[in-house]
Amino acid sequence: MKLSVDLAGIQLKNPLLAASGTFGYGVEYEELLDLSRLGGVVSKGLYLEPRDGAPTPRIAETPSGLLNAIGLQGVGIHAFVRDVVPRMRRHDTALVVNVCGDTVEEYAEVARVCDGTPGIAGLEINISCPNVKQGGMAFGGDPKMTHAVVAAVRGATKLPVIPKLSPNVADITVFARAAEQAGADALSCINTLLGLAIDVDARRPRLGFGTGGLSGPAIRPIAVRMAWQAARAVKIPVIGIGGISTTEDALEFLIAGCRAVQIGTANFVDPTLYERVLDGLRSYLERHSLSDIGQVVGTLEYPGEAKNAAKGGEG
Amino acid sequence: MPANRTASLVAREGLGGPYFLLTFRHAETAIEARPGQFVMIKAGVSAEPPLRRPFSILETSPERETFTLFVKLIGQGSKALASLPIGGFAQCLGPLGRPFSLPADDTEALMVGGGYGVAPFSFLGGELLRRDGQKPRLFYGGRTAADLPLLARLRAQGLEVVPATEDGTTGVKGRVTLPLEAHLDAGSGSRRLYACGPEAMMHAVARIAAARKLAAEVSLDPWMGCGVGTCLGCVVKIQRSDDPRWKYKCACTEGPVFDASCVVWPGESASHAHRAREAEREASASEART
Repeated sequence: MKLSVDLAGIQLKNPLLAASGTFGYGVEYEELLDLSRLGGVVSKGLYLEPRDGAPTPRIAETPSGLLNAIGLQGVGIHAFVRDVVPRMRRHDTALVVNVCGDTVEEYAEVARVCDGTPGIAGLEINISCPNVKQGGMAFGGDPKMTHAVVAAVRGATKLPVIPKLSPNVADITVFARAAEQAGADALSCINTLLGLAIDVDARRPRLGFGTGGLSGPAIRPIAVRMAWQAARAVKIPVIGIGGISTTEDALEFLIAGCRAVQIGTANFVDPTLYERVLDGLRSYLERHSLSDIGQVVGTLEYPGEAKNAAKGGEG
Repeated sequence: MPANRTASLVAREGLGGPYFLLTFRHAETAIEARPGQFVMIKAGVSAEPPLRRPFSILETSPERETFTLFVKLIGQGSKALASLPIGGFAQCLGPLGRPFSLPADDTEALMVGGGYGVAPFSFLGGELLRRDGQKPRLFYGGRTAADLPLLARLRAQGLEVVPATEDGTTGVKGRVTLPLEAHLDAGSGSRRLYACGPEAMMHAVARIAAARKLAAEVSLDPWMGCGVGTCLGCVVKIQRSDDPRWKYKCACTEGPVFDASCVVWPGESASHAHRAREAEREASASEART
């Protein structure tokens, strides 16, 4: 039974990755989990320099969801390359770096540092964080800026470039195409949805930053819809993200056309979830007499449309 | 090493009102946990509430491979835990976090617990009682007598407990820091303070410790997402005396127990430790000028 996936040149032993911001730098879990069972790990967002992140409180629970404004606290790319990458190389899993920047040049510079570092499999470009004042969603909310950032990173690295798109736009396909035209190798869809939770007694936001990004099962149908739209709009592979906490959730994204998926908020609830999802994917293939997870990809039969052929075999 | 797996509920004891003692079987936590450590726990696998909750460990039984939590029904997480049937399962990750530092043999341990924040002091007190020469004392505060449901139990454990309630229904009338300061005034010698409870109470204990130059540890309780330092949701401002500015530290991995003098409390711009060092520098500089 084949669970492995070629994602824009990144060899994943299975289609499950841990989503950025929900798995630290990976090493935090090395004693607790067998990291080599994961297809890949996407690092917490990294700038050139260390960052303090957003003021506290930073997280608030909402119905079936988590609203966060962490604000990309991080150690900076140089400390990551020096301290984390050598440790992560001991685990047989694809390490993808989530690249951040206040400016187009900073994104490119972080990418350049990663380019020369053995042990980094690809770059996810964070143009969709809603919790920073510069960069982040400001770039992901304007197709011209999306193009500019992706093109600059493309020019700075030979590593696969995977922009992570924002759902806080009217038409995600515009951004998917802009990223593809700028040279992206794959797309991550989606980041968190901009939200606001209010403490009614204090009449203040529940988060120190004010607004935050909503994740968790609450956003899954929106995420599946947007990943599906993006996957139909471009030829490059799409990684589905948003509220996955069961095998069925992961399958929804695959059937919608995603080549791989990321598990995010559910890692906080159970960091071993990927084990159960993997087992679940195997039994699903067995139950449907399939031999390759790629045979599931893009098989959605949508009302009024001709049946799709599976996209998995295209490589 | 912490373990992530299910824990079955083996006993539940109602303490009146919203308070419960819940005992779970989870060998790693039972055997390895130190006073001040916590577990991330959630009843069953339901979608609601989404997150596990951090709970301080009240006591452990390594022989039975169980640990006990002191739970106050507040929201969905605590209610779901207390509603588990005996034999029902929770998802549990533990033991986690940095424990309390134990006092030197000649140092008096003074614990200050506010409301359900008293939980880790049964564990710490029990540990200290087993050591020769230690007579740990617990100042246990709440708004009213009903907020101190563990009083009899803590006393039965052998701890010297000084209760305080704001309405005077049990013990000293007033804040829990009142009997603490009275005790500090009456005696002398080496003391170490431990505090866990509402933030304002811990801040008050930190101020008392700073004013009297006593070592103090506080167990902070921000919202937590993961418990292992990956979500960065539970950070608190920490500044050692020689840090030029504060840094965000994860309460889950670098705490929850912190040196009280290094905490930058709400409304303050620097830690007590840093301010004391700056004041010393200022003093020696002005001495040099004269």
